[in-house]
Amino acid sequence: MAVIEIEGLAKSYRVYQKQEGLLASIRGLFRRRYRTVEAVCGIDMTVERGEFVAFLGPNGAGKTTTLKLLSGVINPTSGTARVLGHIPWKRENAYRRRFALVMGQKNQLWWDLPANESFRLHQEIYRIERGRFERTRDELTSMLEVRHLLGQPVRELSLGERMKMELIAALLHSPEVLFLDEPTIGLDVRAQYTIQNFLRYYQQERRVTILLTSHYMKDVSVLCRRVVIINSGRIVYDGSLNGIIDRFSGHKVISLQFTDGRVPGSLGGLGEVLSPEPPRAKLRVPRGRVTEVLTHLLAQHHVEDISVEDPPLEEVIARMFARCEERPTECELGHVPELLGEE
Amino acid sequence: MTAVPERPDYLRVFLTFARNSLVREMIFRGNFIIDTISSMAWVLINLAFYTLIFRYTPMLGADTGWGKYQFFLFLATTLIVNSLVRGLFMENADEFGELIRTGNLDFVLLKPMDTQFLVSLNRIEWSALGNLVLGLLLLFYALGKVDYRPGPVQVVLYPLYIGCGVAILYSLMITLAASSVWLVRNQSLFNFWFYITNFSRYPMEIYRGDFGTPLRLFFTFIVPVLVVVNVPARLLVRPLAPQSVEDAVLPLFALVAAAGSLAASRWVFNRALVSYRSASS
Repeated sequence: MAVIEIEGLAKSYRVYQKQEGLLASIRGLFRRRYRTVEAVCGIDMTVERGEFVAFLGPNGAGKTTTLKLLSGVINPTSGTARVLGHIPWKRENAYRRRFALVMGQKNQLWWDLPANESFRLHQEIYRIERGRFERTRDELTSMLEVRHLLGQPVRELSLGERMKMELIAALLHSPEVLFLDEPTIGLDVRAQYTIQNFLRYYQQERRVTILLTSHYMKDVSVLCRRVVIINSGRIVYDGSLNGIIDRFSGHKVISLQFTDGRVPGSLGGLGEVLSPEPPRAKLRVPRGRVTEVLTHLLAQHHVEDISVEDPPLEEVIARMFARCEERPTECELGHVPELLGEE
Repeated sequence: MTAVPERPDYLRVFLTFARNSLVREMIFRGNFIIDTISSMAWVLINLAFYTLIFRYTPMLGADTGWGKYQFFLFLATTLIVNSLVRGLFMENADEFGELIRTGNLDFVLLKPMDTQFLVSLNRIEWSALGNLVLGLLLLFYALGKVDYRPGPVQVVLYPLYIGCGVAILYSLMITLAASSVWLVRNQSLFNFWFYITNFSRYPMEIYRGDFGTPLRLFFTFIVPVLVVVNVPARLLVRPLAPQSVEDAVLPLFALVAAAGSLAASRWVFNRALVSYRSASS
């Protein structure tokens, strides 16, 4: 059953173009120039119940705007969306009781009070029955290892602890749909790891539908089977994580270790040499030429060890974003197969 | 799991807001005490000032009926209305602009409750309670000094009109604060509230003549701040015998003005929410 259905969803903003300098600022008092920013330009997407979808894209791609539209926080310019059968921006209570939005860069807990006081407020707002509230709270705080911090003012918590509390606050009413906007941003590896593990367990256990945005590939590779890539407000990819590499990278990376302790100078003729550290070197080779290059290497050089890998996901995505910026028209979903192939 | 849509319990949420605010003010008890003392001191200085004025004149304007203790009743009413507005709404309306500017209004919009309720009553300023107590003390003191005794009708109507006054001032305040959505920063517009409400602090009778009459009409029927204190205060100082058409109409009009102000503020508030564009992530 589709939980999220989006059709032609678009959001544009009119922003004031401030000119540089004092004189221009004064002129701006009387006549203002505006520019229209297309944050989201007509996206279509369907998410089934229980899916854990990653939303990737460079800064300003429209990820957060999409999550805000689906949360009903802002109204779209055009298009439609239904989440759990509701139109989000109608902000019906029946809808708002069934989802949650967590933003890694903002906090909703009362800053000066212990998190528990904010949790109690949520209990009243969502009318969670006392026994259920306490069970959920205790379970969540134990899983995220913050139970002992319930009575400490939020401002005295570390960023990681605070983020865990934010997450708990959002989950107290057992939402069926969860929008997570960079929930691990700025956190240390350990806190990231705890949150990832928690989310994976929680999602599997409760079968909630989750849309996650993150800049950490680790989050995505651990948690999500499906990845949607958005760039300049348009969806450029929707599929599996591995599919990204197949689709966007026309290259493989050959790792080599040479017997004689040196990296041969002629290697550059076979492909792009990455990080030569004698006796090791990495070679970036177009997919179609991998067999040919391997044969050549083994025949011409004394190779002790050799392996062929896909390039790191971060790199593939970073290259794709850079390419999209240079030639935006090529970034339509239909153009994707050629993308980066001949680079 | 299917959630059953339930009606939110506004009273319990309000009480939790009040409780959390109190806990918070207790954490910063130094600030709480200073706040309480300074605002009470301001009241006492005002009281001293008016006492001084009544050394020179027995009445505010000839034949207005506002003698010293009658005016003290007026002052007590002003204090009660203002401390209620300050305690319940002032910090919240101020914070509303900030919520819009920083995009933190997002969180309020997610909650399955009326957004205007959540924005307006999120923080209760308990230090305003001091002035409320002072207002009530002054009220009973002055009531003991005037000849006229308000009857049961007045006793019932007085709190009702205090409520109307609070509603009018609140509406004006939240309307100005909501305009932050279009202006992003509007501290000065918010300050405007203080300038306008200044007019409510004196009896209507002083707005007379070529200059006073237009002011009176404007601040009664267009921006109804003059009815905020005048209508409840008049209940206590004179019999229910209207001396002019305006006198007779005013109590009825106050009810209309309160309901109208609330409706207008709600309209502006909802318009503001539609225009809200949130802030960068």
